Amino acid sequence: MEMLLEALTSLLTVESLLTVLIGVSAGLFIGAMPGLTATMALAMLLPFTFSMEALQGLIALGAVYMGSIYGGAFTAILINTPGTPSSIATTFDGYPMARQGRAYEALAAATIASVVGGIVGVIFLLILAPPLARLAVAFGPSEMFWVAMLGLTLVASLSSDSLLKGLLGGCIGILLSTIGVSPVGGESRFTFGYPPLQGGIELIVALIGLFVIPELLTMAAEGRGALPGGGELRKKEVSIAKVAKHIFSKPVNLIRSCLIGQVIAIIPGAGGNVTSLVAYNEARRFSKDPKSFGKGNVDGVVASESSNNVMVAGSMVPLLTLGIPGAPPDAIILGVLLMHGLRPGLDLFTQSGVLTNGFILSMGLAALMLLPVGLMGGRVIHRVVIRTPYYFLVPSIAMVTILGTFALRNSMLDVGIMLILGTAGYFLRLIGIQAAPIVLGLILGGIAEEGYVQTLMAAVVDPIPWLRLVSNPLSMVLAGLVLLGAATALVPMWLARKGLLDKVEDEDSGGSS
Amino acid sequence: MIVRLNTDIAAGVLGLVFGAVLWFPRADIGRLSIIFPRAILLILTLISVALVVKGFIRPSGRQIEITGSPRRLVTVMIGFFLWWGLVEVLGFLLTTLIAFFALTWYLARVETVVTWQRMLMWTPIILALVSVFYLTFTEVLNVRLPTGLFF
Repeated sequence: MEMLLEALTSLLTVESLLTVLIGVSAGLFIGAMPGLTATMALAMLLPFTFSMEALQGLIALGAVYMGSIYGGAFTAILINTPGTPSSIATTFDGYPMARQGRAYEALAAATIASVVGGIVGVIFLLILAPPLARLAVAFGPSEMFWVAMLGLTLVASLSSDSLLKGLLGGCIGILLSTIGVSPVGGESRFTFGYPPLQGGIELIVALIGLFVIPELLTMAAEGRGALPGGGELRKKEVSIAKVAKHIFSKPVNLIRSCLIGQVIAIIPGAGGNVTSLVAYNEARRFSKDPKSFGKGNVDGVVASESSNNVMVAGSMVPLLTLGIPGAPPDAIILGVLLMHGLRPGLDLFTQSGVLTNGFILSMGLAALMLLPVGLMGGRVIHRVVIRTPYYFLVPSIAMVTILGTFALRNSMLDVGIMLILGTAGYFLRLIGIQAAPIVLGLILGGIAEEGYVQTLMAAVVDPIPWLRLVSNPLSMVLAGLVLLGAATALVPMWLARKGLLDKVEDEDSGGSS
Repeated sequence: MIVRLNTDIAAGVLGLVFGAVLWFPRADIGRLSIIFPRAILLILTLISVALVVKGFIRPSGRQIEITGSPRRLVTVMIGFFLWWGLVEVLGFLLTTLIAFFALTWYLARVETVVTWQRMLMWTPIILALVSVFYLTFTEVLNVRLPTGLFF
């Protein structure tokens, strides 16, 4: 509690408040640009935090994250183009509302839902993270190995249409993480006689390359620029108080969406697009008027936006306690933590407790800041987003990307690696291998390797050394969860193959008509 | 552009090639350092073989779609690598200005005819954008950017 108060004091300074304001505005601006995701926003703005102190840097990135997830709703509502994948479900009802002349109502609902979702996520993080971090102390090498495997199994199943391709991406990422000096043996590996590779592939370099460059190449190839002009943000047709009254008069939808957002956020690798789609689907399923969904029902916007903003702080539960990103943008936050010498785990909540709590509380502040920034600055941001030509956007983002990658270690080699990984990422995506499993493999590879090798070293006299990986109850539970995770991914495929899913859908549609 | 390609076989072959690149130099690496990569290489090979087999038996996709213009895609890709390659020769500022002008001119041609007058009109915007980022990084963030032959 003392730490929390101290963190709050460190947060209530002009510098911190300004950082949050600028971060939220910048995130909102980038998130509102179709094609630019929250991960891209964080990767692009990361270099600007290099010269900041750890807390200020984390506050800035937390605010950018919160702003960009919310920003995605702007174009989703106004031009039917989700600014970020998290806002896919927002288009379903947001755009029909805009076409009915209810754009302001949809945006106000999205804003209120985002603020509530953001704050609920912070509360969940404050409640769930410390006990989980204390539990993580009991994790030895074998448990950490299974935790890493759990992350990989789940992301492989969630991020790709094909489990095999997801797993292949994960393996490629793990192998990329083994380039350079081995964490246990201390030898150089896979450097191909090129000494600069001994430092390995810097996580942030890979993140920038894999997430930003493929999008830039797609934008350039498509000549994406002429955004449809429809869905103007006209004068208020309804007051914000009326929208708030409507939302809070139906608290079940809000509570259910927040809970769904939090549960999915804890699953490593599950992004905001998954949370918002599931929350939207459940809101429709439980609604008394499901047919109105997709035709401009404000509850659909509330479900989507509250759940994806819960994910912002909620997905940091596994990140801050175990070092496993709950969503792709969290990987950038992990990079920043490691850059400042902060390792996820109990130390973050004890030795660096003020900093960690300050960071968590700053996300709550960023969520509150969405209200004035979104409602007052929304019109300006919308106009800028609509009018910025892509031929300025592509070189500008490329310039920031090159600058940011270089500034990390003053290395042009890093820029080259970033471009190579980004170009490879574009082609891999074409054949169905997404960036998310590769990145997660890159992050989890080191954790898995340390756990695996240390466990086998300790079991050198055992007749079957591998069995040491499941030698205690905690390891067995985690190994069971890995199997469960894999099964969860395989069951829908098996059902689809047997045609059972079609049958259920047929029955559903038959019942509703 | 639609390209006929069995994506399962392509992914499997790619996995096998990637695995082979890392498999051959492993002989010089000590046991403690290779034990984990070797296990992952084995898993990678199994997954890749499974993908190739699946590609023959039950392929998930027989074509890929490159949205937009493939020529523009390749040109911009080469442009990015040239930008990177020339930074250490010409310096960051000059290379970025050239790359920015070239990319803006090339990409704007998709929508409209880019005349010299229009490029001149855009010059202050491009100069301002590059200068702001250059000065932010060099003066505020204290990053020493490559200077090259000129400045």
